Amino acid sequence: MSTAAMNAMRVVRATWPPILFGLAFLGTWELIVVLYDIKTFLLPAPSAILSALADNVGSVWDAVRVTGTNALVGLLLGTVVGVALSFALMRFRVLNELVTPLAVALNAIPIIIVVPVLNNMFSTTSQVGRRLMVLLIVLFIVLVNVAKGLRQVSATHVELMRSYAATPWEILVKIRIPNAVPYLFTALRIAAPLAVITAFVAEYFGGTQDGLGSRITSNAANSRNDVMWAYVIGACVLGLTFYLLAILIENAAGRHQGRTRSTTTTGTTATATPAAPTGVAAHS
Amino acid sequence: MTAAADSAPAPSAAVSVGRASMVFNAGRVNEVAALTDIELDIQPRDFVSLIGPSGCGKSTLLRLIANLLTPTSGEVFVNGKPAAQARLDQDYGMAFQQSGLFEWRSVRKNIELPLELKGWAKQRRADRANEMLELVQLPEFGDHRPWELSGGMQQRIAIARALAAHPPLLLMDEPFGALDEMTREHMQAELLRICAAAETTVVFVTHSIPEAVYLSNRVVVMSPRPGRITDVIDVDLGGERDEDTREDDAFYATITQVREALRGAEHDSGQPVRGVDDR
Ligand SMILES: Nc1ncnc2c1ncn2[C@@H]1O[C@H](COP(=O)(O)OP(=O)(O)O)[C@@H](O)[C@H]1O
Ligand SMILES: [Mg+2]
Repeated sequence: MSTAAMNAMRVVRATWPPILFGLAFLGTWELIVVLYDIKTFLLPAPSAILSALADNVGSVWDAVRVTGTNALVGLLLGTVVGVALSFALMRFRVLNELVTPLAVALNAIPIIIVVPVLNNMFSTTSQVGRRLMVLLIVLFIVLVNVAKGLRQVSATHVELMRSYAATPWEILVKIRIPNAVPYLFTALRIAAPLAVITAFVAEYFGGTQDGLGSRITSNAANSRNDVMWAYVIGACVLGLTFYLLAILIENAAGRHQGRTRSTTTTGTTATATPAAPTGVAAHS
Repeated sequence: MTAAADSAPAPSAAVSVGRASMVFNAGRVNEVAALTDIELDIQPRDFVSLIGPSGCGKSTLLRLIANLLTPTSGEVFVNGKPAAQARLDQDYGMAFQQSGLFEWRSVRKNIELPLELKGWAKQRRADRANEMLELVQLPEFGDHRPWELSGGMQQRIAIARALAAHPPLLLMDEPFGALDEMTREHMQAELLRICAAAETTVVFVTHSIPEAVYLSNRVVVMSPRPGRITDVIDVDLGGERDEDTREDDAFYATITQVREALRGAEHDSGQPVRGVDDR
């Protein structure tokens, strides 16, 4: 059998149980709503949600785009700024000693609460405040991890490079940066889903009403539960997209290093460490 | 003749250490006198082992020769030049207990790294990498990643990398310390073959007496607190060294001689010798 066919088999075998379970779940849900005649404002049936989604697919898609763009822009800019700052942190020890505790402290408090402050700094129709919020969340995760990857290079590697009479610049390019790459991928895997959640939650704090978070709250307030659930489906799709993005990033990291790694995530500081290289491994 | 001219090394010496001392954290509570008054001359094509209990300053002495550390006093010459200049000229290659291969580079790119830093052209680097892969008898592993290789193979690649620029001197710090006994004996024979082919002078740190005797033509015995050279034992096993050498009477006699020298060192320092391997 070809490897492609084997992979397809594996995917099918891995996916049919959750799909079957999901369908059974939706069927039961539908049945209960119909049998017990549950009112839409309490719990709409899956069929009602689907028809609400069909009726509003254009506006759901628009809301997904608004929130998704906020998350993506924040994720990208946060990564760029985070990587840039991590180089500064590596270069200047003083900066590192100032910023790292600050980053840890900022991660420990729910900085999402500063969204109204950010919103006030820009016009009421602007998305900048929300994007800044996502940027901040992503920034610190990327910063802390990449700075670690740049600094924590193996002592043997550094000694070897010195024995080759390598300059600090050569050590940076040939050792520190390659060493930090898996740290960046790990940071992105943590940051991508958080970017969506942040973009979504940031809409609960006022500002324009065109994103998923706003639409869900306003439809809930108007007891248009079926429409609200249609937006929830949109939110699920967006979250899954970013989750998939994170998985792709993780796979790219895996290809870069060519082996699986275990990562640890500490809740408050959101740092992750690629596993130490294993000394001996089997032939491929 | 001036004093400076007196202290200059014999021009033929591969390594010349003159009255070198090394004190870590001088003047602080954690001050360590790691090495005191080290005198050592190593001739080209010598294979010299440094042996002694852990903490006696073997690694420190090797790092002084490599100019990864600067002695507190005394001087170190490599290839007739000050050690700092020899390092800049890449006059030596180095290998450690950890192979120190870069996991994001293929085996071939690992071997090419010192050549890259020397500014060699791409084709010349590739040719040399192939030559080195042949030398360590792993020609088919060039495009593998380091972690796909066994510990012994990784260490052979590390040696290939250390010798890639054809340095006249190879510095090794317990390179086989993490390998199992069988692999280790095989690697010792390989190392002798490779260094004979490349005409390399070797300074080899170990804490295994048989390893030191099998490999070396001189064994330097060191003792701790402060780190000193207590004995230098010439090894004459006659002719080629092969697996039969390990059964030789001369081999056993020299092992006994080194062991007694280590015991003597223990007597001198009033400390039991620990961390030396009789295997
Ligand atoms: N960078 C360092 N700073 C302080 N002390 C050191 C340092 N390197 C080695 N030492 C000390 O110097 C002594 C000799 O160490 P080392 O050369 O590593 O011994 P060996 O390799 O023979 O085991 C030890 O007591 C060790 O603790
Ligand atoms: Mg040591």
